[in-house]
Amino acid sequence: MAGLTYTMIDTANLSTSELYGKVLCDLGEKHPEIVGLSADLAKSTKIGLFGDKFPERFFNVGIAEQNMFGMAAGMAKAGLVPFASTFAIFTSMLETANAVQAAYETPGPVYIRINRGFDQKLYESTEYGFEIGKAVQMADGTDLTIIACGSCVFQALEAAKILDSVDGIKARVLNIHTIKPIDREAILKAVHETRRIITVEDHNVIGGLGSAVAEVMAESGKACAFKRLGIPDVFSIIGLHEDLMAFYKIDTNGILENVRELMGRDFEADENWDDEV
Amino acid sequence: MATIDELYANKIILNAVLPLVKVVVEDKKNLAKAFKGKNVKIQISAVDSSGKVATHFDIQDGLWTVVKGTTEKPDLELEFPSITAFNNFFSGKSKKLPRIKGWYKIELLFGTLKSLMAMGNLLSLKKPPNKTEDKELLVKLFFYLLSSGISQLNKAEHPDVSKWAKRSPDRIYAWGVIGKPGLSAYIRVKAGNTKAARGEYTRSKPFFTMRFDSVDSALGILLQIDNMIEATMKSRIIMEGAPEYGAQIGEFMTLVGVYVS
Repeated sequence: MAGLTYTMIDTANLSTSELYGKVLCDLGEKHPEIVGLSADLAKSTKIGLFGDKFPERFFNVGIAEQNMFGMAAGMAKAGLVPFASTFAIFTSMLETANAVQAAYETPGPVYIRINRGFDQKLYESTEYGFEIGKAVQMADGTDLTIIACGSCVFQALEAAKILDSVDGIKARVLNIHTIKPIDREAILKAVHETRRIITVEDHNVIGGLGSAVAEVMAESGKACAFKRLGIPDVFSIIGLHEDLMAFYKIDTNGILENVRELMGRDFEADENWDDEV
Repeated sequence: MATIDELYANKIILNAVLPLVKVVVEDKKNLAKAFKGKNVKIQISAVDSSGKVATHFDIQDGLWTVVKGTTEKPDLELEFPSITAFNNFFSGKSKKLPRIKGWYKIELLFGTLKSLMAMGNLLSLKKPPNKTEDKELLVKLFFYLLSSGISQLNKAEHPDVSKWAKRSPDRIYAWGVIGKPGLSAYIRVKAGNTKAARGEYTRSKPFFTMRFDSVDSALGILLQIDNMIEATMKSRIIMEGAPEYGAQIGEFMTLVGVYVS
């Protein structure tokens, strides 16, 4: 199929939702207080694996997401640990495993977005220092920082490799896997050290990663050249994941195009080129 | 007629070396004394087939300002008959004195020659000076010279330097010594333009910094006494940024050294 870079062989290794269901089953065995909820998407979101294993602890609420979260809140109040699953998009395979584990260990409600299908592998094992609220630096550079999350992290890393080899541009890549709480320290360090920030997310540019990064920068009073890549404020077109990423320029080529444009922007008002004497 | 390499050297001497006289005078009280309260203009020039090239010092109430280019009525002028003669004098290849206009202003002449010699003596040292303050001054002079020298080569359209500058996005390359921010210098490069500046670049972390762990380590490299690889291994010189860009700026530093020696 046009636009796809994955093969069927990859899918067993890459499905984030499969891994989500599996980790949840493992946690369910150790922790009887865990319950599962679905809004008629048990099979697609793979929480059905948990439902098959623990039918007495699994609740399909029908196509009623708001009700599902209301029920989950009540269950949590009563001392249970509910995992409510529906669709949104995020994260890589091993990151999913870490995120599910961290969600259980974190008091209060936790919202995790994972991809329905499969994503490219970013890490060799889960031991890479996943911590809620802490960014993972995937590549270092001092020309600009690409801040990405979810499936866009792989695209950002690929773009960084091409920028280095073709353009001689050194890009730092930050995987900000937690939007809230966000890693302010990593963002402000990137602002100071690279002066150019580009955010990439498989999500609306309003109210997601780009907005959160912009808030941190605005509050700090530090300026830099900045661009948000993601889905614009429109009804998204329908299509294959990879085709949609290409259409909205959040794939490798889209990131490259936008980085090259951002690198051309001025960050310093001083255009007097006389040497200081 | 000067060769293209002589023109490059001349640009560096006029606009990167001679401005260092001001730095030396401001640092040495005994030199500054000769200009205290004075309002004078001192010009150092060379006559070329296309006119006169010069740098002049505008001294107002003893405070120096370096101005690139000529001034019409200097109080004192050291005028070389050619760019070649000018370059040879300042690179130490010739001791032939220029024509001195205003020679009868003896105090001003002596003060100027003494200041030029003080700068020349420092820059021509083969081993570090003994006094700590002289060591620091020399490192500062080298950092200023190298950043300005590279920028001047770009402005003179030296093929290698201008090619590098044209391809560069907005980047800062800096030189510094740990714990001595007053010695720092940097160069901003952007799409063919370059600007040398003094002090630390504080708006952000520079794209690349050549940082020394001490003044002695800096002089070891700048005076070409120490081995660069060994100094790097012992962390006496720390390359902050991509190593290939460190190698590139290192080549240009050497190029500046070749033109002024």
